[in-house]
Amino acid sequence: MLFHLIKKDFLIVKKYAFLMLLVSILIPLFVLTVTPELPGSVSFFISEIFSIFMLLQFVSMKEYQYPKATSLLCATPYRRSTIVASKYGFCMFIFLVCCLTYLIDSFFFPDLGRFSLEMISITFLSISLVIGIYLPIQYKLGYEKTRFFFIIIIMVTPFLLPQIIQFNDGIDMTSLVPSVMFSLIALFSSLIFLLLSIYISVKIYNHKDLV
Amino acid sequence: MKNILEVSGLNKSYKDFSLSDVNFTIPEGCIAGYIGVNGAGKTTTLRSILGLTKKTSGSIKLFGLEMERHEHELKNRIGIVLDDGCFYDELTMSEMKNIIAPAYTSWSEQDYMNYLSRFSLNPKQKISTLSKGMRIKFALALALSHKAELLIMDEPTSGLDPLIRSQLLDILTDYMNEGGKGVLFSTHITSDLDKIADTIIMINNGKIVFQEVKDALLDSFRIVKGDTKALNEDTRKLFLSLTETQFGFTGITNHTLEVQNCMPNIVIEKSTIEDIMLANINGGKE
Repeated sequence: MLFHLIKKDFLIVKKYAFLMLLVSILIPLFVLTVTPELPGSVSFFISEIFSIFMLLQFVSMKEYQYPKATSLLCATPYRRSTIVASKYGFCMFIFLVCCLTYLIDSFFFPDLGRFSLEMISITFLSISLVIGIYLPIQYKLGYEKTRFFFIIIIMVTPFLLPQIIQFNDGIDMTSLVPSVMFSLIALFSSLIFLLLSIYISVKIYNHKDLV
Repeated sequence: MKNILEVSGLNKSYKDFSLSDVNFTIPEGCIAGYIGVNGAGKTTTLRSILGLTKKTSGSIKLFGLEMERHEHELKNRIGIVLDDGCFYDELTMSEMKNIIAPAYTSWSEQDYMNYLSRFSLNPKQKISTLSKGMRIKFALALALSHKAELLIMDEPTSGLDPLIRSQLLDILTDYMNEGGKGVLFSTHITSDLDKIADTIIMINNGKIVFQEVKDALLDSFRIVKGDTKALNEDTRKLFLSLTETQFGFTGITNHTLEVQNCMPNIVIEKSTIEDIMLANINGGKE
């Protein structure tokens, strides 16, 4: 059931999905060309957050446009919890696709740097934090009111990210714990945070009156 | 005969509207027409039954099981036709079906294809290009392809031309002929119910006005026409609604014998469900 609902999200934004695939391939190359001094992890993060949030916004927009279609889904045996979980699954699927496109990019453009587990885990943790906060708020307030949150994320990320990287370089977590251990802790924390976020979103959505 | 649907003490409150103590039942083999004017509470009741809106209190039982506790199992046994706009317009019918079908454990692709063929629908056609009638037919194909035992329809005939409405009623008749089924059919176009409904449930201002077997209901109400001189304080009380002009009066009564005895020079005619519905609405009293 979860798979079919994730597929549904891709179906309703199929017009934009291919475009976003191209964008996820091109963003790292664009960042590399414009600001080659930035590490590859920054372009990877920008590519991830841009692809996930753009597609998520397109899905929300379509669901806002056809609220009765969502009602129909909830009137079928699909559980509301599965519908909520599929939204997170949708984001995770895009995350994996972006990993793949970055891997391909880095194969052809070695200047992007090594595609490491550490880089994936830090980006996954960051994305999980943003999605984990954003989705429950969207379930609570609706698409209209949370659009600004999305715009802020998209606008602020390219400016804020280099600052975070600088701050992170100053601390260098990997000197405190081994790299693999650090990655595992980051991935585990992400999963815990996502599960907590799903739980909150389900609680909110279960009490929502649909149109 | 066992009840397919039992709604008892259903309450739901909004800021400006509330469903108050809604009670009704639909026995097996029954097509129930759920009537009322726009805003009377029909859609809110159906949404509460389907779990789309959380009820404030009350009980909803399907096939003897509490909906709240057996939601997943029971929804497998319900077919749903919501009013217009419940599909993603950019998708084809086939894509929409691929979203809905996996939700049902007893989905029958064969039944679905048969319905599409019967309705002359092309599965590759985009939903945005479908007429209102075709959308309803598609909704019916989805609703009837998983061996549903209860069909819930919210205003399915609204905005349809007479031919498609007639076809829809034929489909319902065929569906009921399979046996062991029930239909809850909300509408404000009561002429459709004159043809197929077994039971009529009327709601007004969020309260159930009556639940009656259709034939008994039509038998109990009569339209009375006569001279206004025949009206006095006592005879007026016999009417549910009364319209007076300089040429005479027209009223609806369910005290036909008493009216006949008290008012000799009158014309009595059969009433329709619409006449009865309007007479029962407070605004109909003049």
